[in-house]
Amino acid sequence: MDYLALLEKGIWLGCAGVGFAVLFNVPRRTLGVIYLIAALGGMLKFYFLSLEVGLILSTLSGASLIGFASILAAHYRKSPPMTFALPALIPMIPGLYAYKAMVGIMKLTAEKDPVAYGKLFFETVNNGLSALFIILSLAAGVAIPMLIARKETVKRIKPELVLEK
Amino acid sequence: MEIVTKPTKYELGEMLLEIGSLLMVAGANTERVKVTISRIAGAFECDSQLMITNHALMITLTYNSKVKTFTSVKWVPNMHLNFNLIADISAMSWKIVEEKWSVERINTEMKLLNKKALYPRFLVLFLVALAGSSFCRLMGGETVEMIVCFVGTFLGLYVRQESMKMHFNFYLCVFFAAFTSSFIVGLYSFLNPEAESIHALSTSVLFLIPGVPMINSFSDLIDGNILNGTTRGVNVLVIAFAIALGLMTSLLIFNLH
Repeated sequence: MDYLALLEKGIWLGCAGVGFAVLFNVPRRTLGVIYLIAALGGMLKFYFLSLEVGLILSTLSGASLIGFASILAAHYRKSPPMTFALPALIPMIPGLYAYKAMVGIMKLTAEKDPVAYGKLFFETVNNGLSALFIILSLAAGVAIPMLIARKETVKRIKPELVLEK
Repeated sequence: MEIVTKPTKYELGEMLLEIGSLLMVAGANTERVKVTISRIAGAFECDSQLMITNHALMITLTYNSKVKTFTSVKWVPNMHLNFNLIADISAMSWKIVEEKWSVERINTEMKLLNKKALYPRFLVLFLVALAGSSFCRLMGGETVEMIVCFVGTFLGLYVRQESMKMHFNFYLCVFFAAFTSSFIVGLYSFLNPEAESIHALSTSVLFLIPGVPMINSFSDLIDGNILNGTTRGVNVLVIAFAIALGLMTSLLIFNLH
C-alpha cells in the first residue's frame, strides 16, 4: 500500500468535500471539520479497496465512518449531523459508473449486431447496477448511524442544557 | 382568562408553518421538520398534527382546552439548499423550549436569521470548480484534464445560477449546466483527439448530482415516510435524466464515444 498516494487522495477528497459544503451553504464553523471528515471517510474507502475488499463494501464502510464522525462533530460544532455528512459523502458518488452506464444505453439504441449487443448489454447493466448499489450503500452508511444515535442524542443534549442554567 | 395571555391561534400556527416551510426549502428531511415543529408546539403546550408532502405542509393545532383548533395549509417553494438555516433553526427550537420565548420574539428572531447565501458568489464558483477538478484527479485524471474539468465546472455552475435567476424550469437549468460543462470538455477532446479526456468528461457534470435529495429520500424511506421518500427519489431520477440528456447532447455534437 502506497501511503503517500493515499494521503494525496485525502487532500483532493477534502477539497471536493469543502467545494460541496460551500455549495450547500453550511455554517462557516463547520468547514474545517468537513474537510477532515471527507478526507478520512474517502481514505478509508480507498484503503479498503487496496485490500481488495470490494467496491460496495468499502464504500459502505467509508460512508459509515462519515456517518459516525458527523454525529460526533455535531456535538462538537453544534450543527445537525447531516450538515457534515452530506458534503463529505459527495466525493464518493460513482460518477464514472453512472457515466459509462449512460453512454452504454446510448450505444445500445444504435447497436444492430446481436453478439456485440450482448456484450454491450452485459457491460451496461454491470455498470448501472454498480452505480445503483454504491449509491444505496452511501445512503445507508450515513442514514443508519444517524438512526442509531438519534434517540440518545436528544436525551443527552437536553439534561446538559438544563444543568448549565 | 388564561387564554388571553396565550398567543392567538392564528399567529402560532402560521409561525409553525413558516418554520416548517423554511426547513423544507433549506433541504431538511421529513423527520426533522416533524420533530422541530412538534418541539416548538410543545413549548406552547399545543398538540400538533402534521401532513408533509413534497410541495405542501398542512398543520392542525389543538390547544390544551380542546376547544380551539387551527388548521392551515402552506405551499412550499422549490428546494434551495441552505444548511446554515437548518442549523440556526434547530438551535433556535431548543432555545424556544428552554427559555419560553413568545411568538413575537420568535417572529423577530426569524427575520434576523440569515437567509441569504453565506459565501460570495465567486468563492462558491471557485471552490466548486476546485471540487470538480479534485474529482477528476481522484478518478485518475492528469493535470491538463483537471484544468479542463475546472473550467467546465466553473462555467456550468455559472450557467445554472444565471438560468435559475431567469426562472427557467429547474430541470431545464440542470440540463443547460450539464450541457455547458460537457460541451467545454467535449470541445477540448475534439481539438486534441489523441489526448485522454474520459475522466474530465465524466467528472465535469458531477457537481449537479442531487446528493441531498438522494440521501433525504433514503432516510425518509427508513423513517417510514414512504410517500415522501418515493417522491424525492423520483425527483432525483428526473434530475439525473436531465444531466444525462445534457451530457448526451454534447456527446452527439462532438461524436464522442
